[in-house]
Amino acid sequence: MAQNVTNVSQTEEISSTRRVIAASSVGTLIEWYDFYIFGTLAKIISEQFFPKDNPTAALLATLATFAAGFVIRPFGALFFGRLGDLIGRKYTFLVTLVIMGGSTFAIGLVPGYKTIGFFAPAIVFILRLLQGLALGGEYGGAATYVAEHSPAGQRGFWTSFIQTTATLGLFLALGVILIVRQTLTVPVFEDWGWRIPFIVSAFLVGVSIFIRLKMSESPMFVKMKKEGKTSANPLAESFKQKDNLKMVLIALLGATAGQGVVWYTGQFYALSFLQNACNIEFEQSNTIILVALVFGTPFFVLFGALSDKIGRKYIMMAGMLIAVLAYRPIYTMMYNDADLKQKTEIVEQTKVSEPKVEVKGTDTVTTIVTNKTYTDGTTYKETVKTTIPLDETKKAELAAAGKLKPEKKKAVILSKDTYYKMIGFVFIQVIFVTMVYGPIAAFLVEIFPTRIRYTSMSLPYHIGNGVFGGLVPLISTRLVEATRPAPGLPPADPLAGLWYPILIASVSFVIGMLYISNKTNNMDVE
Amino acid sequence: MSLIKKLFGILWSLMGVGIIPLVIMQAMKEIAAKPSEENWIFWSIVIVVLMPIISFSLITFGVFALKGEYDVLA
Repeated sequence: MAQNVTNVSQTEEISSTRRVIAASSVGTLIEWYDFYIFGTLAKIISEQFFPKDNPTAALLATLATFAAGFVIRPFGALFFGRLGDLIGRKYTFLVTLVIMGGSTFAIGLVPGYKTIGFFAPAIVFILRLLQGLALGGEYGGAATYVAEHSPAGQRGFWTSFIQTTATLGLFLALGVILIVRQTLTVPVFEDWGWRIPFIVSAFLVGVSIFIRLKMSESPMFVKMKKEGKTSANPLAESFKQKDNLKMVLIALLGATAGQGVVWYTGQFYALSFLQNACNIEFEQSNTIILVALVFGTPFFVLFGALSDKIGRKYIMMAGMLIAVLAYRPIYTMMYNDADLKQKTEIVEQTKVSEPKVEVKGTDTVTTIVTNKTYTDGTTYKETVKTTIPLDETKKAELAAAGKLKPEKKKAVILSKDTYYKMIGFVFIQVIFVTMVYGPIAAFLVEIFPTRIRYTSMSLPYHIGNGVFGGLVPLISTRLVEATRPAPGLPPADPLAGLWYPILIASVSFVIGMLYISNKTNNMDVE
Repeated sequence: MSLIKKLFGILWSLMGVGIIPLVIMQAMKEIAAKPSEENWIFWSIVIVVLMPIISFSLITFGVFALKGEYDVLA
């Protein structure tokens, strides 16, 4: 009889934990989705909201906005973390969800630069900051909430579901974008269809708010509040008291900084590299990432659960070390596999279209399309567009300034074999991501006390991911550009962008190995 | 082990201090060579955001390590 009662109680506990995980994860996943559609659509957004005179400047401006979204995250961590430690986890991350959903929806409605001029980038910039602020408050709350519901000895396993949400959010963002793009056709998508993924967010957030309203507060927080043990000033307690500050620093330098760069390199940088360095066509490059994410995602749970058995440290550090050693070889193979110079062209199948001349507004646009086929089944499409003003004076001015250069669009479509190989290369990088990221929520939760946990764990997480990781695209693009001998020529080292994540992950690895204990899984969350 | 942690503490602190002039000099050199908008944006982000975080955290962490604050593992 007593055995039956125990079994029923255990079943109820597991079922309750599952509900908590599901409700928390859905909201966090949607927040990541909201955050990543902006980054994924960076190129289109730069064309819509920033002056087009200089495409590189426009892209950098977007990346800066993208970085701003990341850089603001630590402030969100401080603001909402403090709130979460003062009034509770549940209501705090409900607020972050509303802010995130509202800003994303609004980005989808902002008129372009052509319509409202400078107000367009200014409004988008502010909305992006709000997104970053909301995300800064969300993750720490969700991880803390789930960990505080999880039984001791299983925190790595249960919190790993929260860890899958960032990758699944990216997956959802890429999936929605691809579906909308295919349904509407590319020109319509680039004109106004890109707004749909932003607008869809309102529906997703509505569902998530409904689910979260039914959740109960964290039992540990409720108990602490009843006993009057909540912190009066979580910020001061977290960062002014030496014992907590030293844990914040070790969490940042020995774990989250390295984890952040590995996360962004394995997913975002990989996508950017496929599209910009390898010139792989939009849909094919996105599906490579999507498939690799699908196969890689279960490993978050695997490594989270494994960290309950063998400790968090060695899994995270192994992930960083292997990533540091493997990045250059992996990216070299990716680059070589897509490099057309190393393939044999079937010259008789090459087709060059007749120049198509159109008058668009005050310009004449001439388009020439070249299609090439290679012996391994790879195809290549190059579209060269030359825009010349009808007005002779303007034409002469642009010619004198050297601005009459044709715009080239390259699209490589890989053969099936190379396509699968690329998925394999990205999949390996996603495994590194799961090793460093799967156990990290449990690691962070366990090194801080309940009364200041939301604040203390959120800041190193968002500095590590938002600043160190979020700047990977900006700094890596810059490092590659620095190796370009002259404008228009290919970079001397297309892999130079990897030095940033390699350096940060190496330092993080040494600090983690020296100063972090592997015994955190045995610590009591109380 | 404790001695190694302390010695590395000196290294982290020195790295934190050393990064400041290195970054500022590189920024000045690149902006002087090409004072474009993109150069200004990039170096502003690095100098205003990234560098202070790296410097402050490495210096403070290094000092803590040197004082033996991490002798008992975190």
